[in-house]
Amino acid sequence: MTRFFIISLLLYGAINAGIKEEAEKTVKSFFGSGFKMEMIKYNIPYDIKNGLEKKYRQRFFRNNLYLWKIYQGDTLHAIAVMDNVYGKSLPITFLVIFDSNTKVIHVEIIKYRESYGGTVKEKGWLDQFRGRDASSSFEFGKEINSISGATISAGSVTKGIAKLTELISIIKSDL
Amino acid sequence: MRFYFSLMLFFVFGLTLIAQTDEFFESKATIGGYGELHYNYLKAENTNASKTLDFHRFVTFLSYNFNEKWSFKSEVELEHNFVHSGEGELELEQAYVEYRYADWFGFQAGVILPSIGLINEYHEPPLFFGVERPDYHNKIIPTTWFGNGIAFYGNYKSFDYKLTIMEGLNSDKFSESNAIRSGRAKGYKANAEDLLYNLRVDYLGFTGLKIGASYSYNNASGDTSQNAVSIYEVHTSYQRNNLYFVFEYGNIDYEKYNLRKSNGFYFDLGYDVSELLNWKTKVIPFVRYSDYNTAASTVTGGDSEKSNHYLYWMVGCSVKPIDKIVFKIDYGMRTKELGSQKTTLFNLGVGYMF
Repeated sequence: MTRFFIISLLLYGAINAGIKEEAEKTVKSFFGSGFKMEMIKYNIPYDIKNGLEKKYRQRFFRNNLYLWKIYQGDTLHAIAVMDNVYGKSLPITFLVIFDSNTKVIHVEIIKYRESYGGTVKEKGWLDQFRGRDASSSFEFGKEINSISGATISAGSVTKGIAKLTELISIIKSDL
Repeated sequence: MRFYFSLMLFFVFGLTLIAQTDEFFESKATIGGYGELHYNYLKAENTNASKTLDFHRFVTFLSYNFNEKWSFKSEVELEHNFVHSGEGELELEQAYVEYRYADWFGFQAGVILPSIGLINEYHEPPLFFGVERPDYHNKIIPTTWFGNGIAFYGNYKSFDYKLTIMEGLNSDKFSESNAIRSGRAKGYKANAEDLLYNLRVDYLGFTGLKIGASYSYNNASGDTSQNAVSIYEVHTSYQRNNLYFVFEYGNIDYEKYNLRKSNGFYFDLGYDVSELLNWKTKVIPFVRYSDYNTAASTVTGGDSEKSNHYLYWMVGCSVKPIDKIVFKIDYGMRTKELGSQKTTLFNLGVGYMF
C-alpha cells in the first residue's frame, strides 16, 4: 500500500509537470540554447476578448492565457502563446510562436484528445501558418487547406490561430 | 502480491488522477449533427421517371467527456422523416464508451463503426461529392455500417490505425444484387458467435493526402447458412490547393455458394474554382466514374454477373457558402452491363453538419 502512495505522489508530481511544461519544452527545443524565457499568465482585457470572440465566433478557453516571452540577451525575440479550442467534442491544446513582428514562426499541437482527425498534428499542415500575421487571410479551405476527415478540428484550430495572431498584434506593445 | 495490488491501484486510480488534473480540460457535454434533403429524378430506359423529395437523414450527435481519458459518444439517426410500417429507419448508429490513453492507444466499446473505406466513418454530407453517397458505398462497402463491438485505435508517426472486433454478418442475407449489405445486423440481437475482425491502416504524412487500406474477415453465419467472407479495400484522398481527388477499390470474397466475389471502385476529381472567380463561396465542380459488380464472380456465371455490373458516369457541383453547409447538384448515366440498359439520374440536395 505504501508503494501505491509513493507511486501516486510521484504521479501527482508528473501531473503538475504536465501540459505547461510540455509547451515550454516545445519552445526550448524550437529556439535551442542562447535564449531565456519568462512565462506570464496574461489576463486578456475584456473588450479585446469580447471583440475577438465575436469576430471569430469562437471563445477563448479562459480569460487568461499562458504566454512566454523569449529573450535573446535583453531583447524580446519572440512570443509563444498557448490556448485551447474545441474539436468535435474535446479540447485541442495548441501553441503558437510569433517573432518580434508578430508573424507566426511555428505552430504545434500540444495535446490532441479526439480519436478522429489527428491529422491536424501533422507538421506539413501546421507549416501553412508560418509567415502569416494579423493582416493575412486565414480562410479555412482556401488559404489554409482543409483536411478530409478532420474538418471540424482543422477549422477550429485555424480559427484559434487566427484569433491569437490578431490578439498578439493588439497587445504586443503591452508585453 | 502487495506489489501487484499496488500496481493495479496505480493503473486504476493513478491514470484517472492524471486525467482529472489537466487544467486545459473541463468535463462537458457537446451536441452536433448532420442532415440532408434530396430531390431525386431517376429514369430508366422505357420506363416512367420517378421524382422524389426525401429528407434522407437527420442525425444528432451527443457526447459527454467525463474526464480527459473517458468519454461517451453517440449518434442517433432518423432516415426518411419518420418510421411507419417498415418505411423509414430509426437507428442508434453509435453509442460507445471511449478510453484514450495516449495518441498511440485508445479503445471504444459499444455501438461502433468498423473502419472500412473512406466514407463509413466520415459520412457527413459536406464531406463527399454527389447528393447521394457513391453507389460503391452502398453496394460494395455498405455505409453506414455499424454494430456492437470494441475497437482499438491509435496514431503513431503519421500512421493511423484501428482494429475493430464486432458482431458478425448474417450470411442468409447475402445476395447477388446487394452483396453483404442486407447481412448487417445493425446491433439488433446480433451474432456474437462469429465475430467480424477489421483492421485499417492509413498513412497521413503528406499534407492533404490520406492513403490506406483495410482488411476484414468474418466467418458469417445465419439460420440456414455459413459463409466466410473476406473484404479488402484500398483508398486514397487528396485535398490541397483547391484540388480534390478520391479513389477507392473494394473486394469481397465469399467462401461458399453461388456468389463468390463482389468488387468495384470509383474515383472523384474536383476543383474549387472560387479562388479563380474571387468568390467567397466555394464552388467545386467534379466528375465521378464508378464501376461495380455485386456479383463479379459466380459459380454459374453468365447473366447473373452481367445483371449486377454497373458503370456510372457523373458530373456535378458542390457549393459551400460556409464549410459546414453544402448545396449539391449532379447528373449522371448508369449503365447495366446486361442489355446495356441505361438509367439517367439527376439529383439536387442540401446538407449540413455541426
